[in-house]
Amino acid sequence: MSTKGDNERIELLQGTLDLLILRTLRLGPTHGHAIAKAIEFSSDSVLQVEQGSLYPALHRLIKRAWISVEDGTSENNRRAKFYRLTAKGKRQLVVETSKWNRLAGAIAQVLRPARQESES
Amino acid sequence: MSRRERMMDDLDQDIREHLERETQDNIARGMRPAEARRAALLKFGNVTRVTEATREVWSRVWLERLLQDVAYGWRMLRKHPGFTVVAVLTLALGIGASTAVFSVVNGILLKRLPYTDPEKIVMLWWKAPVTSTQAPGDEWPWTLRDVAHFKARQKSFQYFGAFKSDFFNLVGSGEPMRLDGLRTTSGFFATVGVAPALGRTFAPDDDRPENKFVVILSDRLWREKFSSDRGVVGRAVALNGQSYAVVGVMPPGFSFPRAEEMPITMSLPPQTQLWVPLEIPPAPRGPSEYAVIGRLNPGIITATQAAAELRQYGDDVVKEFPSAKGWYEPAVVPLPRQVVGDTREPLLLMLAAVGVVLLIASSNVASLVLTRSLGRKQEFVLRGALGAGRARLLRQLLTESLLLGGIGAAAGILVAELALFCVRNFGPSNIPRLQAATLDPRVLLFTLGITLVTGIVLGLVPAVGISRENLAESVKDGGRAGRSPAHSRLRNILVVAQVALALVLVISAGLLVRTFHQMLTADSGFSAMRVLTFQLSLPNSKYAEPEQMAQVYTKTLLALQALPGVQSAGLVSEVPMGGSTDSTVLRIPDHPPQDQNDQPFANYSFASLGYFSAIGSPLLRGRDFLASDTADSRKVTIINSAMASKYWPGQDPIGREVGVKDTRWPTRTIVGIVANIKHSSLREAPDPEMYVPYTQNEIKIWPSMQTMQAALRTQADPEGLTRSVRDALLGVDADLPIANVTTLAALVDDSTAQTRFTLFLVGSFAGLALILTTIGLYGVVSYSVQQRTHEIGIRISVGATRHDVVSMVLGSGARLAGVGIVAGLLAAWAVTRMMSTFLYGVRPTDPLTFTAVAALLLGVALLACYLPARRAAGIDPLIALKYE
Repeated sequence: MSTKGDNERIELLQGTLDLLILRTLRLGPTHGHAIAKAIEFSSDSVLQVEQGSLYPALHRLIKRAWISVEDGTSENNRRAKFYRLTAKGKRQLVVETSKWNRLAGAIAQVLRPARQESES
Repeated sequence: MSRRERMMDDLDQDIREHLERETQDNIARGMRPAEARRAALLKFGNVTRVTEATREVWSRVWLERLLQDVAYGWRMLRKHPGFTVVAVLTLALGIGASTAVFSVVNGILLKRLPYTDPEKIVMLWWKAPVTSTQAPGDEWPWTLRDVAHFKARQKSFQYFGAFKSDFFNLVGSGEPMRLDGLRTTSGFFATVGVAPALGRTFAPDDDRPENKFVVILSDRLWREKFSSDRGVVGRAVALNGQSYAVVGVMPPGFSFPRAEEMPITMSLPPQTQLWVPLEIPPAPRGPSEYAVIGRLNPGIITATQAAAELRQYGDDVVKEFPSAKGWYEPAVVPLPRQVVGDTREPLLLMLAAVGVVLLIASSNVASLVLTRSLGRKQEFVLRGALGAGRARLLRQLLTESLLLGGIGAAAGILVAELALFCVRNFGPSNIPRLQAATLDPRVLLFTLGITLVTGIVLGLVPAVGISRENLAESVKDGGRAGRSPAHSRLRNILVVAQVALALVLVISAGLLVRTFHQMLTADSGFSAMRVLTFQLSLPNSKYAEPEQMAQVYTKTLLALQALPGVQSAGLVSEVPMGGSTDSTVLRIPDHPPQDQNDQPFANYSFASLGYFSAIGSPLLRGRDFLASDTADSRKVTIINSAMASKYWPGQDPIGREVGVKDTRWPTRTIVGIVANIKHSSLREAPDPEMYVPYTQNEIKIWPSMQTMQAALRTQADPEGLTRSVRDALLGVDADLPIANVTTLAALVDDSTAQTRFTLFLVGSFAGLALILTTIGLYGVVSYSVQQRTHEIGIRISVGATRHDVVSMVLGSGARLAGVGIVAGLLAAWAVTRMMSTFLYGVRPTDPLTFTAVAALLLGVALLACYLPARRAAGIDPLIALKYE
């Protein structure tokens, strides 16, 4: 849609956010804010996600039954929605991860000769 | 609360908490509360958009869009009420007629018979050989001997039964009553597999001589004669002077077999009222008169295997009696197929006819939709410019046309319901299972199917135009009525196809009309005017000897002839259209058989003096029977002209001798020749027939004169005589029941009912097709006149006369119609030969019908173009030129 934008921030590919959420939840159930923080932290802030866009993704995953949601209390005794990876989600994570690796490998392969060309 | 609402609630809460946490974090990093809050919001992004995006995850987007499209389509239909009404009515007629016909087809051909595993029940027949009195291959019944022998050795059937119709005089209170019944072997009910409502069906040994006086009643008889008395089982009733014990009552609706379900030669009653056991004597003999029904063994046995076993039996019989060669070709007919009888092909014809109507109706509506889509071009251009994709526009068009189809189908179901009501109440009664035609789920599924197909096609038609046209071009001229070649071509093709289809249908109807006319005007050998007929059945117990029968018939005849208002009266085995007669192999001294396959044969009827004049069939040559033709005088016979020309071609048969094959009986002298009197159908080919005076019958067992039919030619209304006929017969014998009182005209009517029904339906469809085509043609031509207003205005202003304009418009219409007519004639020429089984006395490519219908269609087409042509001629060039 937008023609000019800040190019330093990497636009997330469709499905990438889903993969990041699933990965984060593998460590245990947690709430939305913590997931946002975890993604931000573990990617060294390269992946700058608008925190809000996390939520449609979370709901999409709930609808697919890859994660579930429950009421809980957080570390400082506050009520919160906790998201938890389901068994189906765990299986899906494996599938998505290998898919992602294949994709990343393929892209790397496509890019390598291009770099060599530009170097020559 | 739906899951969606619950999840949206959760989301709100979640977002609030998320922002709260982020704000807290920011405060912890040292921001001021207001700043911390703003930063949190900034990092989160647009809350509304997030909410919307999440809502979309949970919403059924397609459903909402669909509702949107439907609402929009509905608005469009309401905005153009003229278009909507015409389109909906056209579709309603097309879909309604198709639904009605399909429900008849469904009821008769597709619905399962109400018997246990009906597909396992088969009828067993022999194929009539070429030398028989019937059409070769027709179902030929069994002799009791074959029934007994085959039953003893067969392994294919779990149950097996033979039956024939018989009549029973119920004597007791009031007038004697003649009941149509069935004599069946004990296996009959087990074969059919229907449980009784009361009591039991026949036990295996009920056909033993000592047990045979038991009877099973039909539900109707039980209600009417036994006032629905549940205690009737075990009671004794008097039938034919014998006491029978009631053992069971069948459930409502069961009256198998009905006349229309079985070959006409079986002379079954319209409704079987009671069943009694058929005794198989130790050494059975007698004529072929039994129908055989069997239930295939479970599992392994197929109808083909059963046929093989039957064939083996036939071969063995022929080995034993070489003279029987040719008479033992088996025919195994599944019951569902048997009961459908001859209605299958007329039904398929109707289905084809109504399919054509539906095609014409849809192409008519397609043409309308096309015209309207031109008017809507601006709308589509605008929406396209605003970013609606081709797919989105297509979906909109499909939604609209499906909506149109849906409304049409809803109205069509009402049309079908009305049509079915009429068919059930006024349709012919001798079409099997017509009453079973209802709008059941399968029919509605069919309706849904044709509606969807029609709707999708209608939606795609204008889409063809959209994709072919350059939208940008349209924007330039404001999307105004620029002529679209793709659309015009399509519309012309549609109207040509309509004309062609309508022509085929009208030609088919025309051929049927000619057939019907031929049937009614062909020489039937009798005149049905003012003839009262009824059936007399002599109780066995009272009249066993031919002499006794002859006596009572003579008394009856005298009583009838003496009635005031009776011009002539006579008795005969079967009056015309009263059913088929017995037939027998003959001995003709002039015509000694060359070999086994050359046995002379003829229908063999008894008749009285006066019969031929009563049915208006004067003798062609020779003399009628005389009172002096008695048992003691010279034996005489009257033959029909088919017999005369078959066995005495080019000779005078009067004075020649003929007799039954059995030499125990002497031959008879031919004293007269009558016309070929048709027996069961006006379209039958005449068979040789000989009439024997009932006073000279010496054969006791068969052919029998137990049942005779009377024919009375009256001076006035024949039915007015019914009362005095009954009184006269009470004077002859108070226990003598009469049955089937009707007029010869009514019998003729019944015999043509099915043809009339087919003709009526195909004729209605043809009329409908003609009307729709006229409307279609009118629409196309007036639209083109409207499109060419400007051009016509110029022509007029440069001197074209009124006449020039009219003939120009008529010419363009006639060109379309002409192409359609030529295409239709070719199609009809290819198609009508499939109708030859329905035709009588007319060729499938009858030039008269083809020419007349083509001229009719051309005339109608010109008529349809005339109005727009006049309108074109009336165009005022000034206004026309300003209009652009």
